[in-house]
Amino acid sequence: MTTVSERLLTRAEEPGTGSPGPADPPGPAVPLLSLREVRIADGSDGREIVHGVSFDLTPGKVVGIVGESGSGKTLTCRAALGILPAHFEVTAGSIEIGGTDIATLTPARWTALRGATIGAVFQDPASYLNPSLRIGRQLAEVVRVKKGLGRRAARERVLALLRAVHLRDAELVHDQYPFELSGGMLQRVLIAAAVAADPRILIADEATTALDVTVQAEILDLLADLRDRAGLALVVVSHDLAVVARLCDEVLVMRQGEVVEQGPTRRVLDDPRHAYTRLLISEHEQYGLERFLEQTAPAAPPPPAAPAELIAPIAPKEEA
Amino acid sequence: MSTGTRLVLEVTGLDVHYGGRRGRRRALHGVSLSVAPGETVGLIGETGSGKSTLARTVLGLVRPGAGSVVVDGEDVTAHSARQWRELRRRGVVQYVFQDPLRSLDPDLTVEASLTEPLLVRGTGRPEAAARVRAFLPRVRLAEDLLDRLPGELSGGQRQRIAVARALVTEPRLVVLDEPVSALDSANRVQVLEILKELRASGVALLFISHDLGSVAGVADRIAVLYRGELVEVGAARDVVGRPQHPYTRLLVGSAPTLRGVGADRAERAALRALLPA
Amino acid sequence: MVRRVLALTSGRVAVAVLTVVALLAVLGPLLAPQDPLATSDHPLAGVSGAHWLGTDYLGRDVLSRLLDGSRVSVLGALEVALTALVVGVVPGILSVYLGRAFEWITLRLADTLVALPFLLFAVAVIALLGNGLTQAMLVTGVLVSPLFYRVSRAATLAVARSQYVEAALISGASVGWVVRRHVWSKVLPPIAVAFAQTIGTGFVIVSSLTFLGIGVQPPEPTWGGLLASDLGYLAHRPWAPLTPALLIMVTVWAGNLLADAIRDVSGEAGRALLKGRGARTGRTEPTEPAPAGGA
Repeated sequence: MTTVSERLLTRAEEPGTGSPGPADPPGPAVPLLSLREVRIADGSDGREIVHGVSFDLTPGKVVGIVGESGSGKTLTCRAALGILPAHFEVTAGSIEIGGTDIATLTPARWTALRGATIGAVFQDPASYLNPSLRIGRQLAEVVRVKKGLGRRAARERVLALLRAVHLRDAELVHDQYPFELSGGMLQRVLIAAAVAADPRILIADEATTALDVTVQAEILDLLADLRDRAGLALVVVSHDLAVVARLCDEVLVMRQGEVVEQGPTRRVLDDPRHAYTRLLISEHEQYGLERFLEQTAPAAPPPPAAPAELIAPIAPKEEA
Repeated sequence: MSTGTRLVLEVTGLDVHYGGRRGRRRALHGVSLSVAPGETVGLIGETGSGKSTLARTVLGLVRPGAGSVVVDGEDVTAHSARQWRELRRRGVVQYVFQDPLRSLDPDLTVEASLTEPLLVRGTGRPEAAARVRAFLPRVRLAEDLLDRLPGELSGGQRQRIAVARALVTEPRLVVLDEPVSALDSANRVQVLEILKELRASGVALLFISHDLGSVAGVADRIAVLYRGELVEVGAARDVVGRPQHPYTRLLVGSAPTLRGVGADRAERAALRALLPA
Repeated sequence: MVRRVLALTSGRVAVAVLTVVALLAVLGPLLAPQDPLATSDHPLAGVSGAHWLGTDYLGRDVLSRLLDGSRVSVLGALEVALTALVVGVVPGILSVYLGRAFEWITLRLADTLVALPFLLFAVAVIALLGNGLTQAMLVTGVLVSPLFYRVSRAATLAVARSQYVEAALISGASVGWVVRRHVWSKVLPPIAVAFAQTIGTGFVIVSSLTFLGIGVQPPEPTWGGLLASDLGYLAHRPWAPLTPALLIMVTVWAGNLLADAIRDVSGEAGRALLKGRGARTGRTEPTEPAPAGGA
């Protein structure tokens, strides 16, 4: 079986080679990531912060978590990554990655798993890069450690990764320092780092929050590409329901550690059952663009899952 | 002396440059914008568009290279520091920052922060305290918050305090720089509602944001700033519903909405190609 | 502020000790049981009913000399610290606001003062102004003032760039208002720490200058002077330096304790600390921890 990044890279270089896309049935395989009634507590005072989160992530599927800061969405992600902050612990429920309960993992197994099976990108890309090292060197480190490549091979691979995340001039970015790049470019670099070791799952925690709207749209496109071309399973976390709605098959709405609503995206948007979900939707209806788009664009735009034919002709696009 | 029709803000042909002779960078070029009394104008621009520079110029914190700024009928383009202080002390123009935690002194109680703009104008302490108390309901805050410190409040409460501080002097114009970007949904809606209500008192708002979506619901008119130039100004409905300039179309097409995005990626790439490099 | 300092145990202890020291300074010379300058036939005597702390090398009563010397010692140390405070803090804060020229000049002056050889400068100024405790302490104060200049300037700079100061200026506040209302409360804690430190240094400097014949003239006693002379007779009375050393130590310690208490209770962190001790209850919001670690 080819790896995610191999599939990704070949596709990026040979646009238009078929379109397995999200339509491919993932098969009856075990879910890549499975959370069952996960509860997380602050060990220092015993307060429970997350009161039971469950979802299954199969290849090519996208699960969205919507909530505000303090809703427990970030803690849930960090629990799945095995990087809960000090004092915090999973007190009940189980998290399985590829059928293995993560509670049984040794630190060495975790290290092997992170990057190779599960990767993540967060809100503030600049803080995850060493400001005094060139981009290429930092990515090469990931590639060499996780894939055991030599210097030359690593460089080639890093360049291919940078091209795969649609950075316009990969050679230039390779030799630049983080401060020379815009926020959108940095986030692309971090996505490249996160997929460098061919993970099956990518967690994007508020990955587009700090970016301009036009750049955000491109990063969301990129995530959709990764899903469609490489079958990557995504967990997209955002405070903005519209961001989650664009990509996700299933949505969890979290509030104060509780999942107040969970279901297929269209169902949640069309028939919200919890007052909080209705608030999130009405905020858009009253104060968002929707207020004006309704009258001017009565024909509903295509549903969030973009058809495969729009995604196939991919050439490295311009960077904002 | 005040006539209801006089513009609160009139910016004409504004040029602003940063830096010395070398490395001189243009922040604003030929920007003309006006705000009528009681009007809410949304100023949209992404990173580096110059929207904060425009705000700072209007507030007298940045000196323009060319053009003129007229605030409430007074040409302030060449005002000295002293003249600016006089103008500010009258409380004609006020400002609301993005992050209330940083724009409120952490060591001052809410009451001290709220009375400050009144006290610097020479209002007596009892009167200032009374006016603050009278204003609190308009931003939906309870009086028992007055002796708290900013650190003891929620983000939404803090931003409502920042709004109250700007409005307690009954200014003609309030410049708001991303006032709801740091808030969660419930508080965002609440602050936007409060701003809508406050407009009834006749104050004009210049609402600055990177996000078209957060401005669309409150603004009468929307101005779009791209690389230091105003590329489109018009009624909110028209700018969002029938954007003309490619950049505005790109903005509208990129903004995530519950109905998906306005433009697919091929359309957006085409719009991007139309923009000056 | 005072109430908040007294809410801390350390603050109460510090204030109590410093009150005793202040009382000593005021009443010490009156409390001295014997003439501090009168010599007797029993030099270097041990502890006895007549001499509670023994006698020194000239047979003078040590307790009387300690009590009598406390006023000069405390006053001297205070003079040093106060001079340094005034000379350092005022330009330190103003250097942020009075423009480039003032900033440049004061910065260079502070550098120069640090670079000056202390004793040489002290001797030179004494030669100009005449010898006396006040002159000596003023000189010392000026020489240690760069500490206050730096501390207050750094704290002011941090505040001056803050958004709440900008907000105040946009509301029409003057620089004076900003300093009184916003800067002062942030600058005070580090200054208090520097002040306590300088008092400690002051005691030592008063005595070392006495040793050189500058400032306080023998036979007039000071705590530092007593310590210096006792050290010369360690072979005869090894325990003798303990009392003046202990007095200096306790006073400096109390000063530092007070400075720490002021720092601890000032600002937001202070409120949180006091709250944590149950002095005040308020609500805190659950916040999500910021992501840490690398990708």
